[in-house]
Amino acid sequence: MAKTKTDEKLQKIAKDLLESKEISLLIGYAGGSNPGRMRPFFITKPEETEKLSFGKYAVQDLAVFLKKPEVKKFGKIGIVVKGCDEKAVNALIQEFQISRDDVKIIGVECNGVIRQNLADKGETKVSESTVYDKCLICEEHTPVLYDFIVESEEPELAVSGNVKPYADIEKLEAMSAVEKNAFWAKEFDKCIKCYACRQACPLCYCSRCIVEKNMPQWIDTNSEETGNAQWNLIRAYHLSGRCIGCGECERACPVNIPLMLINEKMARDVYKLFGYKSGKDIDAKPVFGVFAESDFNDFIK
Amino acid sequence: MEDKDLKTAAKTTDKNSGDPRIIAFVCNWCTYNGADLAGTSRMKYSDNVRVIKLPCTGRIDPLFIIEAFKKGAKGVLVSGCHPGDCHYTSGNYHSRRKYATFRDLLGYLGVDLNRVEFSWISASEGNKWVAVINEFTDKIKSLSGNSTDIFTKK
Repeated sequence: MAKTKTDEKLQKIAKDLLESKEISLLIGYAGGSNPGRMRPFFITKPEETEKLSFGKYAVQDLAVFLKKPEVKKFGKIGIVVKGCDEKAVNALIQEFQISRDDVKIIGVECNGVIRQNLADKGETKVSESTVYDKCLICEEHTPVLYDFIVESEEPELAVSGNVKPYADIEKLEAMSAVEKNAFWAKEFDKCIKCYACRQACPLCYCSRCIVEKNMPQWIDTNSEETGNAQWNLIRAYHLSGRCIGCGECERACPVNIPLMLINEKMARDVYKLFGYKSGKDIDAKPVFGVFAESDFNDFIK
Repeated sequence: MEDKDLKTAAKTTDKNSGDPRIIAFVCNWCTYNGADLAGTSRMKYSDNVRVIKLPCTGRIDPLFIIEAFKKGAKGVLVSGCHPGDCHYTSGNYHSRRKYATFRDLLGYLGVDLNRVEFSWISASEGNKWVAVINEFTDKIKSLSGNSTDIFTKK
């Protein structure tokens, strides 16, 4: 495959950084198992940068690796991020999980990534109907924070408004409690408690998750109705006000539970109540780390 | 409360009466003393409620609420000091922020929001405690049999 200008620029930045020893590990993308896929790619030697690439198939949020101890031990790390993924890096810095000094952010302009299930079938065009819902509501086609920026060659994503992102949220909001309950009971019934949603999430970084604590055992570990609902609710709650909407949980879910419907709804609620959006500013305090005397009080007697 | 009661606190129904069970998570400094005052003043209130005392509303993890529902409680009340009165300065402000979103999430996932209640009750408000408990109990009793949550087995 011919090198694009994006790839060339990306490779040069990566090579310079590795040669000058400013970073000891670079996390980026390289061609995947089929032409419609890209995989995460870890580079420690300057000469390996030639495989580095970026494009409309670069779906995965690489920020997830920053939380791993085996990656952290490299010290200074360079990471290739899209606008949405970059917000995860911001949130990690905000919550003191990584230091701004230890990470070199190579931002890439992104005009949408193609849904992987469509790409696998040979879809090559970035359009309203082929990208993820998150791309349609994306406000950060250019990352908000970066050390280096690589411009995109893809045309800007045209949003006509015909495709409504996360349309099911409004549908659910309009339902009665009984109907909502039936909807989610059916979805959570599928859950096999594999915790892929947690593993794929860049912000689920607790070294010991609540679900692994067994004195007391808060969340049932077998996959049955009540424990499933409990797990999914707590997972979503622990991400409320923090989720940056990369959609990795939903993509990782082997049984296709629409987790982003919950995450996105929580993000909207937090914005409505507290005017806060996660991952926009590394100097902002996390929304649940602060309070205001004027906070929403209507539900309390 | 006796030990035996604590262990069975969350069981849905008292086998004898069949009343709906309500769990109240209250803070040590305000609401618990408010409830105490109601007791020492010989005020009568609904006996459906089981009180669980915690240091502060800020200590009341949303997991507790889910756990209560899972164990079969029909209603859950969270109550603490009025804004500005927290013994730990800001615990209630933090919890208010938490519960504003948590309540939304519960509702979104299909829990009947009539089944969760939040209140600020100070140590001198024994009468407010009585009113809140009685009102809440009436509300829970008036709910139809299919008032929903996703935590109990169907």
